[in-house]
Amino acid sequence: MHKLSKEKTGIMQLSFSKTPRPSEVIEDDIELDITPLMNIFIILVAFLISMAIFTRLAIVEFSLPPNVDSSMNTSEQKPQPKLTVRIDKSYLGIVLGDNLLDSLPVLENKYPFDSLQSRLAIRSSEHDFKGEIVVASVDQIAFKMVVRTMDICRNAGFEKVGLSSATADPEAPR
Amino acid sequence: MKTRDLHKGLSKGGVFRPQLTSLVDIMVILLFFLIQSFSIEGNLVTASADLELPVSSADKNPQPFCALHITKKQVLVDDIITVTNDKILSAEDFLIPELFKMMKAQKAKNTDPASKGKLLIQADKEIPFAIVKKVMYTCSKAGFEDFKVLVVQEE
Repeated sequence: MHKLSKEKTGIMQLSFSKTPRPSEVIEDDIELDITPLMNIFIILVAFLISMAIFTRLAIVEFSLPPNVDSSMNTSEQKPQPKLTVRIDKSYLGIVLGDNLLDSLPVLENKYPFDSLQSRLAIRSSEHDFKGEIVVASVDQIAFKMVVRTMDICRNAGFEKVGLSSATADPEAPR
Repeated sequence: MKTRDLHKGLSKGGVFRPQLTSLVDIMVILLFFLIQSFSIEGNLVTASADLELPVSSADKNPQPFCALHITKKQVLVDDIITVTNDKILSAEDFLIPELFKMMKAQKAKNTDPASKGKLLIQADKEIPFAIVKKVMYTCSKAGFEDFKVLVVQEE
């Protein structure tokens, strides 16, 4: 029994003598094996690229005027005039019926969208338009301007935006 | 000095071990960027490559309805060139016969009640409103009532 314990001690001593003490470890020998981490990264990157969205798409909803829409207005009652934003080449106008309420001139090819939003907010507080507005544009205007104007109308609190073609100039810009 | 740099990746046994630290850094940055733009749903609608969509603050998710593309040069329905923009602009009438015929067929083909009468328009941001107006008029005459425009969401 005593002999065995001695042998055991001998083995332990031997194993201790093989293990280098921390002070003996040279800095250069410590190397992290990052290969499995890289493997995971490569798999993850491929998966994420396949599921990534680089341009977020959305939809803009609008209605057409009743005489254009297939569901034509059959009632004989005269329709209530709606607040309309007119997009012209030289100005943005806020029109109600035949009256041009506001005219915001285009300066240096820049449409005054900021002023339009504030004017629309004022006009909507003056009268209850039930959140309805019509955007009417002349033929030459780029489509992006029409979309931007519809955005401004929604931001000003008009939920139902209609799209229409602008008729003859209701009034020259003031 | 140059010789030392060349032998930097060599271990004692002479085996070349590349320095992976910078690669791991790039991978981590890439991973963060991709996680940020990750979406479980994905895009149900893909924008056409030959047109630039207008930018908008709208946030409603697009649904795969019947799609009509208005590029810089032509109008496409189901990826088939239906009519050119020049022809639309030169026409005096609002109704475009070629498009009307095509859209009528599209309306008849769609039997799904959830998307019937709904049209998703993909229009280039620079095209004049006159083209959009005539296209929408023709589509409404063909039986489409609910119009939606595809846009790129503002960041």
